[in-house]
Amino acid sequence: MIKAEPRTILNFLHTYFDVVRDLFEFQSHDGLISKEAFDMIVKKHGQQNIVGKLKEYRIVRSIGSDFEMRDVYFKMMEFLLFEFKPLLPETIEKYKGAISELYMKIRLGENHDRDILMERIKNISHQIREFVDLVERNAFRLLSETRDLKSNIERVEYREKVHKASFWIEYYILPLNKILDVNHSESVTNKLMEVSEYANRKRLDFADETIRTEFEKLYMQLIQTNQDLLRQSKILTNELLPLLERIRTESLILTGFIEFLRHPYRTQTPPLLKGSRTMVYAKDMLFKVKEFFEQFETQEAVYYEETDMQFDKWIFDRELFLTQLNAELPVKDFFGWCSKMLLKDFSHIETEKFFAITGLLFDEALSVEFPKKDERTTIETLNARIDLPKIKIDNPVKI
Amino acid sequence: MVYPSHHKRIVEDLMGGKFILSNEDHYNSLKENDKFYQEFFKLSFDLDLILKPEFSYLLSKETQENFSRDVSIFVAILCYELDKDGQNFMEMLDYHEFNYEEIDRYFENSSFIDLIESNKALKDQDSRRTLINGMARRNIVHKSFEDRFLFTQAHRVFIEFAKELAMRKMAVSQPEENAGN
Repeated sequence: MIKAEPRTILNFLHTYFDVVRDLFEFQSHDGLISKEAFDMIVKKHGQQNIVGKLKEYRIVRSIGSDFEMRDVYFKMMEFLLFEFKPLLPETIEKYKGAISELYMKIRLGENHDRDILMERIKNISHQIREFVDLVERNAFRLLSETRDLKSNIERVEYREKVHKASFWIEYYILPLNKILDVNHSESVTNKLMEVSEYANRKRLDFADETIRTEFEKLYMQLIQTNQDLLRQSKILTNELLPLLERIRTESLILTGFIEFLRHPYRTQTPPLLKGSRTMVYAKDMLFKVKEFFEQFETQEAVYYEETDMQFDKWIFDRELFLTQLNAELPVKDFFGWCSKMLLKDFSHIETEKFFAITGLLFDEALSVEFPKKDERTTIETLNARIDLPKIKIDNPVKI
Repeated sequence: MVYPSHHKRIVEDLMGGKFILSNEDHYNSLKENDKFYQEFFKLSFDLDLILKPEFSYLLSKETQENFSRDVSIFVAILCYELDKDGQNFMEMLDYHEFNYEEIDRYFENSSFIDLIESNKALKDQDSRRTLINGMARRNIVHKSFEDRFLFTQAHRVFIEFAKELAMRKMAVSQPEENAGN
């Protein structure tokens, strides 16, 4: 029992709002306010004297040596600060059971006690209100969490983002979407549609006017509820789900790229074809062919100059010299003989002419004898001095 | 024998290591004659034809590893820097017209500067322009002006590469984490 006036409590909350908010935030985070945290918060605000009032106004209660903010205040703070904790869809789905059960009892008991029927209609209306409220708060909180994840103020790592986005999708968005999916026979929304149709009929044909009025109220509430749920469902499917999917995909890609950039030369990159053009001729074929033909295009003129210079037209007459040699046999010094023969016709010996005559030596008919001692003769030509052995040519041996 | 329309262009582009994009005339002919070209490239050159809804390209046993690595590093750093800059990098790769100045700014102020400076294809402005020209030759980017370009859908090869790498990495680390718990 609280002795204080409600206005006094509200004034207290107004005056010490910062303390209450810190207590709320601590409990939101940790689930309970430890004694140390409680003392620290009130001390921080210099308000140790309000501990008694907090308990008296039943804002907090003791749990052993620790504290807990009472549910009604906790919910009020949630609402005031718009800091709702997202509920697991399983928690929300419990309303389906409550609503279904009340609906069944209303249908079965519509011809029984009037008062209990009225109470049941009011109760189902209350359950529906709570359900819609929870869905709205959950959708709002999920949207807010998703936007935070997108802006990444807390500098969450990409891998953690992938994990968070997947977590929200798997455990919150998809199940919540299922609850709100009017086409799903098991969804709460589908059940509400059924209740709505029933209420619509009964608001027109129920015998008792008071009950008709209650059905009318329920029906009007359900029209608004269905509109609200449809809006929430649209937010989930059109905004929240694509946003989370994108966060997940983006973060996955960036995780991969960062992983790759850690060891860019040790990771196998996407295979790409080594570009090649298969040609039947070489790439520089054209230039080579051009070069080949160009050499014939410009032919240089070649000039031959006639000369009047006289030149020696001496031709070696082998037969003549051989006959003379044979006539003079035996010759003791063949090369000396060659020299003598040339000097008969010319004033000097030309090397070419000299070697031409020496060719007689290879005549098989001649009997050539090489000197036993080192006897040599020297022939002087126009441009050489030739040192040669003295070779003796004998008469041919007659067999 | 009658060859499909645009046959010469299809073969020339793919053999030149180019991506054929779905908005090009010869892509439709390639798609309509998918089976023929799969067989044609396999039997003639021992190459595999990859045909995706947005683009097509050839794969061989011998690949151009350096080019692929340079492009992968380029795209990876660009995506990272765009995200850091608060941009939606996936939308940017899909629709944004990049200019060289913008690219230089991202690369010169990147925290991956050591990697950038040690890579011949990324180390300075000229190198990056050469790489972008190489990407344009292969249809990975489309040059709208001398100093501007857009990514084509072919960039998704590198996005898919990153996704697969991340999933592989996460699949490996998941059991480790579970084992740790």
